[in-house]
Amino acid sequence: MSREAILNSVKKNKPELLPLPEINEVKFKEDVDLKETFKNNVALVGGNIIETTVASIDDIIKAQYPDKTNIVSTTNKSKLGTISVDKNTDPHTLEHIDLAIVEGELGVSENGAIWVTASNSVVRALPFITNDLVIILNKKSICLHMLDAYKVIDNRERNFGVFISGPSKTADIEQCLVVGAHGAMSLSVLLV
Amino acid sequence: MNHAKRATEFNKDEAKVNWHDKALWYVREKRDKSAHNVQGWEYLRQLGSEIKANVLSNLDEYLIQFESNAKKNGVHVHWAANAQEHNEIIQSILEKHNAKKVVKSKSMLTEECHLNPFLEDKGIEVIDTDLGERIVQLAEEPPSHIVLPAIHKTKEEVDVLFQEHLGTKPSQGNPEYLVSEARKHLRDKFLNADVAITGVNFAVAETGGFVVCTNEGNADMGVHLAKAHIACMGIEKIIPEEKHLGVFLRLLARSATGQPITTYSSHFNQAEEGKELHIVIVDNGRTEQLSREDFRASLHCIRCGACMNTCPIYRRSGGHSYDYTIPGPIGSILSPGKDLKKHSSLPFASTLCGSCSNVCPVKINIHEQLYKWRQVIVKEEKQPIVKKSILKTAGMVLSKPKLYKIAGKSARFALKHAPKFMIYNKLNAWGKARDLPEVKGDSFDEWYKKRKKNE
Repeated sequence: MSREAILNSVKKNKPELLPLPEINEVKFKEDVDLKETFKNNVALVGGNIIETTVASIDDIIKAQYPDKTNIVSTTNKSKLGTISVDKNTDPHTLEHIDLAIVEGELGVSENGAIWVTASNSVVRALPFITNDLVIILNKKSICLHMLDAYKVIDNRERNFGVFISGPSKTADIEQCLVVGAHGAMSLSVLLV
Repeated sequence: MNHAKRATEFNKDEAKVNWHDKALWYVREKRDKSAHNVQGWEYLRQLGSEIKANVLSNLDEYLIQFESNAKKNGVHVHWAANAQEHNEIIQSILEKHNAKKVVKSKSMLTEECHLNPFLEDKGIEVIDTDLGERIVQLAEEPPSHIVLPAIHKTKEEVDVLFQEHLGTKPSQGNPEYLVSEARKHLRDKFLNADVAITGVNFAVAETGGFVVCTNEGNADMGVHLAKAHIACMGIEKIIPEEKHLGVFLRLLARSATGQPITTYSSHFNQAEEGKELHIVIVDNGRTEQLSREDFRASLHCIRCGACMNTCPIYRRSGGHSYDYTIPGPIGSILSPGKDLKKHSSLPFASTLCGSCSNVCPVKINIHEQLYKWRQVIVKEEKQPIVKKSILKTAGMVLSKPKLYKIAGKSARFALKHAPKFMIYNKLNAWGKARDLPEVKGDSFDEWYKKRKKNE
């Protein structure tokens, strides 16, 4: 183990202590409509955004994704699930999931990202391995920017969590944007 | 071979160079648009720079704090002084899990350590899962850009490569078709992998957790399916507190591609139940760079690639011309610290225009460091005789006004009247592939004096 050697070398070579800056958040203050900006940014990153009510969630999903049969829902806000999962589910068995419906904890207006935790998805692989993804988000749970977001999620169980902004995508072939790389092929965000 | 010679190779295909140049400039423009949308962007860069400077000045303490918090979360922490140790640690973890198949998401560190050939020699299959990296892996080439690894390949070249390796149908380079075939091919690899290896974008001392950013979702597909996750990080990836992610995640994707954030920003603190999480912390020359006062700020780098996209030399010479894991301006200030002799031409692959420093999200003074490396190199490395004697003569002429006037006059006379072969030859690098400007009569000095007389 080279632990001591590395730490000693850092100690010997580092410069004199420089202060850790205070973050003056006033400089990032913006008077924007959080919900409208969030909606615009979800669309910008390639997601569908639909404002609705809890009662209409299932109708909207059925209209949006009419041909799905292997559906996992980890939220009691949707009854469309056809396959149930728990934390002991082998993620490899989710290979043929057409649609996953999960709840998000927090939306970020500046970039359209949504915080999804390990307990939201039950099986960590779910929001990635599913062909298409629906995230349900409370329209009151939208913050301005990432600095605010980390304040909101500060008090959490730290195991795994992910900010998801749009469907998976790549531009690795001649810079042509193609939606649907390894993760979900589409993302629909339902604001309720 | 030096940078200029390799750049000459790249420039043989003029159409491709023009495309490469424009494509990267377009990414630079997207970066500008995206950055201008952020209230307080310049302050955000300032914060990024100051946080990183604090990290370097207290790095040993932060590393210890990070290790201790990660261990509390059940994470296995390993330390590697160099590439060899890094590779051996990974091999031992793979052996423990009897792993034969590995999927890897993007990690410039594992490229730097040449992990793939090391593991392949031991009979282990290593699949790069970022699409661009998979393309260059199939082509048996190194990445030519840290964010856009296959930017030097045309879609037709990818088409041929996929026909050969993935058995696809000819599609004249249809990107949708090629991506969908790659998705199928790599799904199979994800589902059958024993262990997943990822890089680390940011490691948080305060929590012992780390963040990995991708657009494709390949890091998560690998990690959440495999039974063990190995994350490899250079010592400089540490940030003090989780709230600082709020600064760096706002800077990273906007600087890299102009997106407001990457599609996935995955936060790993603990392994999923029944699985293992390992972190390998690597030095490999970084503490030595830390000792160099003029160059230590190069360790601020968050690997966004903005300096490459904006660099007039990179855009026209291609990433392979640098012959180093990290190409472009940032690579040109990191590489001489690793091997001064081998990379001595890289700090000269710059016009010192300063555009790299202007776009850098953590305000590294890249162009000043390029200039400083040049000072070191001319002292320590033998310079070509032509360059040396020309610079010596120029120094003499420029220090003597009379001589300067005579030289100017004869140069203007020669440009007007001398035969072409005398002007466009090996000694005149400026005459290669371009015409010298037309001579307009008087020198500035002569023009000024005449004007004074006529007043």
